[in-house]
Amino acid sequence: MSKAAVAPKIGRPYLIEVRGLTKEYRNGAGVITVLRDVNLQVTPGEIIAIMGPSGSGKSTLLYILGLLLPPTLGSYTFAGQDVLSLDRRGQAEFRRHKVGFVFQSCDLLENSTVYENLEFPLIYAGEDRQTRPAKILAALERVNLSHRVYHNANHLSGGEKQRVAVARALVNEPRVILADEPTGQLDHDNSQQIMDYFQKIIATGETAVVVVTHDPEIAARCSRIHTLRDGLL
Amino acid sequence: MRLTDLLRVSMRQVLRHRRRYLGVVLAIAFGTAGVITIITMGRQFKYNINQDLDLLGKVTVIRFRFDNEKASRFQWFRPEAAAAVSRLPGVQAVSLLGAHKAPVVWRDQRQSLTVFGVDEFFWEVNNYKPLNGALIGPEAVAGRQRVCVVGADQAEKLFGKHDVAGLFLEIHYDLYRIIGVLEEAVPDSLSQAVFVPLTTFQDRLPGAALPATLFVRCHTWDDVPFLAANVPKVVQSLQEAENLQVDVRWWVWNRTVRIAWWVEFFVHMAVGVTLVLGGVGVWNIMMAAVRSRTREIGLKKAMGAEDHDIMAQFLTESLCLSLGAAILGVAAGRLAVEIVGQVMGTRPPESLFFISVGLSLLFALVIGVGAGLYPSLQASRMNVVEATRYE
Repeated sequence: MSKAAVAPKIGRPYLIEVRGLTKEYRNGAGVITVLRDVNLQVTPGEIIAIMGPSGSGKSTLLYILGLLLPPTLGSYTFAGQDVLSLDRRGQAEFRRHKVGFVFQSCDLLENSTVYENLEFPLIYAGEDRQTRPAKILAALERVNLSHRVYHNANHLSGGEKQRVAVARALVNEPRVILADEPTGQLDHDNSQQIMDYFQKIIATGETAVVVVTHDPEIAARCSRIHTLRDGLL
Repeated sequence: MRLTDLLRVSMRQVLRHRRRYLGVVLAIAFGTAGVITIITMGRQFKYNINQDLDLLGKVTVIRFRFDNEKASRFQWFRPEAAAAVSRLPGVQAVSLLGAHKAPVVWRDQRQSLTVFGVDEFFWEVNNYKPLNGALIGPEAVAGRQRVCVVGADQAEKLFGKHDVAGLFLEIHYDLYRIIGVLEEAVPDSLSQAVFVPLTTFQDRLPGAALPATLFVRCHTWDDVPFLAANVPKVVQSLQEAENLQVDVRWWVWNRTVRIAWWVEFFVHMAVGVTLVLGGVGVWNIMMAAVRSRTREIGLKKAMGAEDHDIMAQFLTESLCLSLGAAILGVAAGRLAVEIVGQVMGTRPPESLFFISVGLSLLFALVIGVGAGLYPSLQASRMNVVEATRYE
């Protein structure tokens, strides 16, 4: 079931359009259905919150949107393109250029600087080495961390680490940011700060953000809220 | 992923985790240094052992002689044949020897003794040393000097003492100045004899006073079979060579080769085991790295890395590790070669060193790829969702 806090922007083409999405896992005992006939549309310039209890399939939906998991049934178009028909190389290409991920546990590369963390998406995208510093600095500016560019990521605070993770998701200028509990390990102030950055990101009207969260306060700052329960949206 | 990025990122990773890799790096470096030292200095080791084995039987000295008792006419080695033999691979030195019975007089004692005509290389080839005085050198041979060396037993018999340098001995009606006495640890036939320069021998002794024996000292025991087979062919190509006999102490040679084979086997085994352990270490450490970096792998795949990017990175890290260790080993090997060279007083051929460096780097490449391949494959095939959720 869908609970819309804010109505979708009318007249704008969907960036993400998911129809009849079902995800089943087979194990020895039988089939477990994680997502059932999920329909979701996301337009650029909005933040969607996906809420729901643990095990309801929130993260699975996010992974399917990022083409990290294939659905069992359903269709998924991204900017009008059927992305489920992409081969492995096409899926990786999609992740390199269209998607930025932010995970719950501030997943930065250990023993690496902030610069090196942000450089990896650019390396995989084939960006020239000369143009990388400008892009990295621009991404860090958006989360007010340009002064930390050569700091060791291990020495940053939890809030700073998550801001670096947001900057890393942004560095390739993706069309959508998929955030899995991005504030799950942050205090209230840092959580609000992350949401501020997301608001700034969507303000351009080019990018959308899909946030999986348990926190109603975070969800309240999103354009729409969807709740997943027993695989139903 | 570009090659420059791949190399930079992989080397950075290895350098940042250098403490974790230290044991493996040292194992490969020691193994590599061992290989380099063995290959570069192996021949010199054998040469030195040969020198030390002289007392046990001159395993690397081959005697070629014409059996003139059976020949229709007297045969002897021509200088050009000896020169051609000396140019054969594996020959360290050659020496010509002539033997003749001649009357030898000291005061009122007159005896018929064996007189050997020797060149200056005779002592080096057979590793003989003087008991006192000097042995016949190049000046005496080139100058056709009337000097002689007396065997220790003969000196005792003729003079009742060994300190006879400077005395004169009459050999076939010519007076010869004694310049030294040969050491005692020689065969009886030599200890009872008198030695004169080969040139003087040919000039002054009557009849067939010509070198009918050729000694060949091989560089190592490995050269003995080849030279035993090929020296007669070279001699026959340059002169008449009827009834040419080849004397090799094969039973001693066989034992020496067998002992040496075991020594080499154990040394090579030790080096090989070190390198294999290094390889197992690389494999183990890369497996551990893949496990401990599971989340990193998931994260990189989420950033858009393809399977081959992940595989290439882990494989390159493995290669950086093994090649870096091998380069360290090459430096240690060079140092070891220099030290061993100094101790042995020799300079090994540079070509051997570079061959061994090439082999070591090739082996490190094989270790890097061989030990890194499976962990890299594992990393590349990792399920990205499970990887990002890995605790």
